[in-house]
Amino acid sequence: MASLPTSCPSCGDQLLAKRLACPGCGTEVEGCYALPGLASLKAEDQRFIVQFVESSGSLKEMARLLGVSYPTVRNRLDEIIARVVRARALQEDDDERDSQ
Amino acid sequence: MSATASDVAGSAARRSVSHLLFRPFACIAGGRSLLVGLAAIMLAGFLGSLSHTHFDGAIDMHTGRPAATSVFLSEGLVNWLAMSVALFLLGKLVSRADFRALDLFGTQAMARWPTVLAALAALAPPYRRLVSSITTQALQTGGFAAERADVVLGGLPMLVALLTIVWMVALMYHSYSLCCNIRGARAGLSFVAALVAAEIVSKIVIVRVLLG
Repeated sequence: MASLPTSCPSCGDQLLAKRLACPGCGTEVEGCYALPGLASLKAEDQRFIVQFVESSGSLKEMARLLGVSYPTVRNRLDEIIARVVRARALQEDDDERDSQ
Repeated sequence: MSATASDVAGSAARRSVSHLLFRPFACIAGGRSLLVGLAAIMLAGFLGSLSHTHFDGAIDMHTGRPAATSVFLSEGLVNWLAMSVALFLLGKLVSRADFRALDLFGTQAMARWPTVLAALAALAPPYRRLVSSITTQALQTGGFAAERADVVLGGLPMLVALLTIVWMVALMYHSYSLCCNIRGARAGLSFVAALVAAEIVSKIVIVRVLLG
């Protein structure tokens, strides 16, 4: 299955989901749905978060799994946290603009 | 022109070699690096005692003055502690990251491993003869006479020793940047400040306490 595009190839803005489909019965739902914050991250960051959860949030275990040192994993997590915070701030700005 | 598979493999191998030489802490940190580093510091001190080579300052290396083996072993520990404490304090001040002291102290110890190579280079007889000529004759008479072969063959280990010290400083910086998660001018300036502070403190402790 193709990977989910999250930003507009033309202007770079965050994309919204307009149509969702059930692969089982074919039902389709149309609307205007914001993607969850985690979906705005790069695929490799999402993989990292899944591994982090699978390791019960242990950075030591992550370091062992990835074959890197603890500070390397810690720094990677800090980068992702910064991206999530930035994405959330942008989302909140958008929501505020929409409400005005 | 597209790169062939062997070009790609070659460039990856070169990258991994340079990673291993200059950025080893991406893979090793914490307790493991501390053990490796302390072993390297002790080995460099012991090898230094054989050629009377002192690591008498955070980034210093001088050959000639005889002393007890314990002095040579302690010098490395003083240098490591002075540098690690200085970087830890500045890291806490400058970095926004919550870093572990064990990683910084461990990788700083391991960053000193090139001193083993410097101590080995100082064991070369032409190096010792050249240093002896310089320290005994030049300081007393203002000039020195040495065999041309000793100047050439002794100069080579001297160059190796100098390069290993530069390499050690590069490793120290990488350790600091990685463990405290800081980059750019902030990392560079705070590292230089820590290096100067550690050099002063270690020099005072070694000269006044260990050699005094």
